Amino acid sequence: MIELDPRTREQLAEVRELGRTYMRPMGLESDRTGDPPPADHPFYLLCSRQGGLVSRVLGENERDEDGAALTWKPLRALLTAEESAYWDRGVALSLPGPGLGGAALRSLATPEQRARFLAPFADHSRARWGAMAMTEPGAGSDVARIQTRARRDGSDWRLDGAKMFCSNGARAEWVVVWATVDPALGREGHRAFVVERGTAGFELLKIEHKMGSRGYETASFALDGVRVPAENLLGGESKYRTREGFRGAMATFNLTRPLHAAQGVGMGRAALDHALDFVRREYPSQGRRRQRALEKLSAIRRELETARLLCLHAVWLARRNQPNTLEASQAKLFAPPVVFRAIAAALEIAGEAGVRNDRHLEKLYRDVKILDIGEGTQQVQRLVIARQLLGLPREA
Amino acid sequence: MTDFALPVEIEQLRAEAERFASLELVPHARAHEKSLCWSAAVLDVLAKLGLREVDLPGDWGGADAGVLAKVVLLETLASGDAGGLPAADQPGLATGALAACPDAGLARRIAAECLAGRASLALVCADPEAPELTPAIHWAPSWPQLRWAFVSRGDALALFELTRALEPARALAFGASGGVGGALAGASKLGEWTLARHQGVTLRGRARLWCGAVALGVAQSAFDATVRYTTERVVFGKPVAHHQGNAFELAVAATSLHGARLLVRAAAAALDRAAADAGFWATEAWIAAVEAAVAVSDLGVQLLGGHGFLVDHLAEKRFREARMLALLAGGRDLAEADLAELVLEVPDSLTQGGPP
Repeated sequence: MIELDPRTREQLAEVRELGRTYMRPMGLESDRTGDPPPADHPFYLLCSRQGGLVSRVLGENERDEDGAALTWKPLRALLTAEESAYWDRGVALSLPGPGLGGAALRSLATPEQRARFLAPFADHSRARWGAMAMTEPGAGSDVARIQTRARRDGSDWRLDGAKMFCSNGARAEWVVVWATVDPALGREGHRAFVVERGTAGFELLKIEHKMGSRGYETASFALDGVRVPAENLLGGESKYRTREGFRGAMATFNLTRPLHAAQGVGMGRAALDHALDFVRREYPSQGRRRQRALEKLSAIRRELETARLLCLHAVWLARRNQPNTLEASQAKLFAPPVVFRAIAAALEIAGEAGVRNDRHLEKLYRDVKILDIGEGTQQVQRLVIARQLLGLPREA
Repeated sequence: MTDFALPVEIEQLRAEAERFASLELVPHARAHEKSLCWSAAVLDVLAKLGLREVDLPGDWGGADAGVLAKVVLLETLASGDAGGLPAADQPGLATGALAACPDAGLARRIAAECLAGRASLALVCADPEAPELTPAIHWAPSWPQLRWAFVSRGDALALFELTRALEPARALAFGASGGVGGALAGASKLGEWTLARHQGVTLRGRARLWCGAVALGVAQSAFDATVRYTTERVVFGKPVAHHQGNAFELAVAATSLHGARLLVRAAAAALDRAAADAGFWATEAWIAAVEAAVAVSDLGVQLLGGHGFLVDHLAEKRFREARMLALLAGGRDLAEADLAELVLEVPDSLTQGGPP
């Protein structure tokens, strides 16, 4: 039902091949060891080569509407997110490229900043990552409560605080760090800074250990007197008049929430394919169990297809620079529970055969739960939707 | 389908239908339900909008504008009043059966009668395990006079011409379409065919999509009315909708409705492309749409409290319509059976591949 241009279809085929050859095995290995693949893994170099996956998602050599040579292609990122998560969500999140930081650059950065911070990705000699750090130990869903402070210090800024749940943060060239000039200002006080690798005071505390999705780094940082030049403030100071900074953060989420949901669709598809395969092998002839399984599978397909369309629609709006707060949250609200049900149904169809560690399904069941938490829990999405449709006050 | 914008001509049709629905259908919905029909004035406007013609092929006298245009038009009209749509739209639910009928001359003749408003055509979706193709019509619109009935069972299709009028039969909803029912036993069989594989699912899918599109309109109007009421009415110091328990339910309802609409439109586009799996996706879309409509319309009654139970509001009408739309075209069990037949074969819509 989905029509894609030949270039995008070609890219999807490439992701599929990379997934089959590298990502699934790498994901299983990371799950076994508990550690993400090393940054110098040959797979990452392969993705970063000239004309490879990273440059395709970035749209290298394709000019954006504002003339920027390098940008970030939301639809390609969305489809790549789905297909790569089909093979392994953890490894999918570890793919080289600007990552969530790319979405922040798209939402906030000046054309010069975009060119500057995305330029390293045009160097194909090694894999490179970008990252974004918003969540703090005391501020998760309610991002307005972040406490990391940004203080003017001469021509520079000085950052102090702590960040956690920063994907690929330890291997990133730069991290977009959200901080506040005054916690009392709430959302109006937010600023986004690009903190470059090796900046003094920007210290990795640890790589977290998780129930699942172990194929990517989840880093925690301390920021202790980190000095950042003024030109690393995304969009420049003028961008942050009256809630502009918070709007930038929200605009970033409006791009990344559908990506997150699309990863779920990929995981759900993986579970669906396991279940389809199981039914073909184990229930070749008609019978009550086969019929019950087929009915479950058709429900999974319906819900996954709906989730996919919600993601595509939200990103389609973003590509047209139309407001998509509502639709991005709807995609993010809808997909994770659907994917959870898909994986649970596949496990039920497979029965006890599904729970063994050497079967992919039990890993999917552990991998999937974070989908409903990261990028805003389903409860947060309901609040966002209710604010949009019902005028629900923020304090409700 | 990565472009979600409606083509300009469909958007124009939608806008015209929206004006008509809000100005002419909503205010008279109760009167129409009571009189068991839509007024001549309403039917005149529907004729100008091309309700019957829009998705029919040009050589039948149709506008050939496609199924996508049709589902958008149906949804929009239903958001005003769905009551008379099953009667007013002929061949309506049976369009897919008519298109699949191997006797092209007969199909063209029936289409012409339907387009002229002189007769109506019913579709009965029969249990694939039923012994014969002559089941009963449980409910069909009573106007225009029911003259033919297709019976679809698996990949078998039969066409009957009724030789006597059926008995009046009131139903749960769609009062403005009137209602008749009865056995087809005495009807004259004009033909019986075995269709190519999946044609049966496609024609039933098209009927289901008709119901799905109407369900979207019913659900959207139910949602909008619920939001209007619950954001005005104050309980325990704040609007009903601003209590988080209610707000969350409304957020979920809106999301289900939005998702169902995307699925219905994507399935319509697949039917327009004559995609091999269009019947599968149309059936899936119908389930999504009626599930959303049943949930939203139930919420509509629930959040209006006692008012929702009264005929002073249209909430209870939408509640009944949503449920009935989930029962037409053979109902859920037949749809599940059709899907189960195909779920192992239909490729993924994005990758077009099965398991790697």
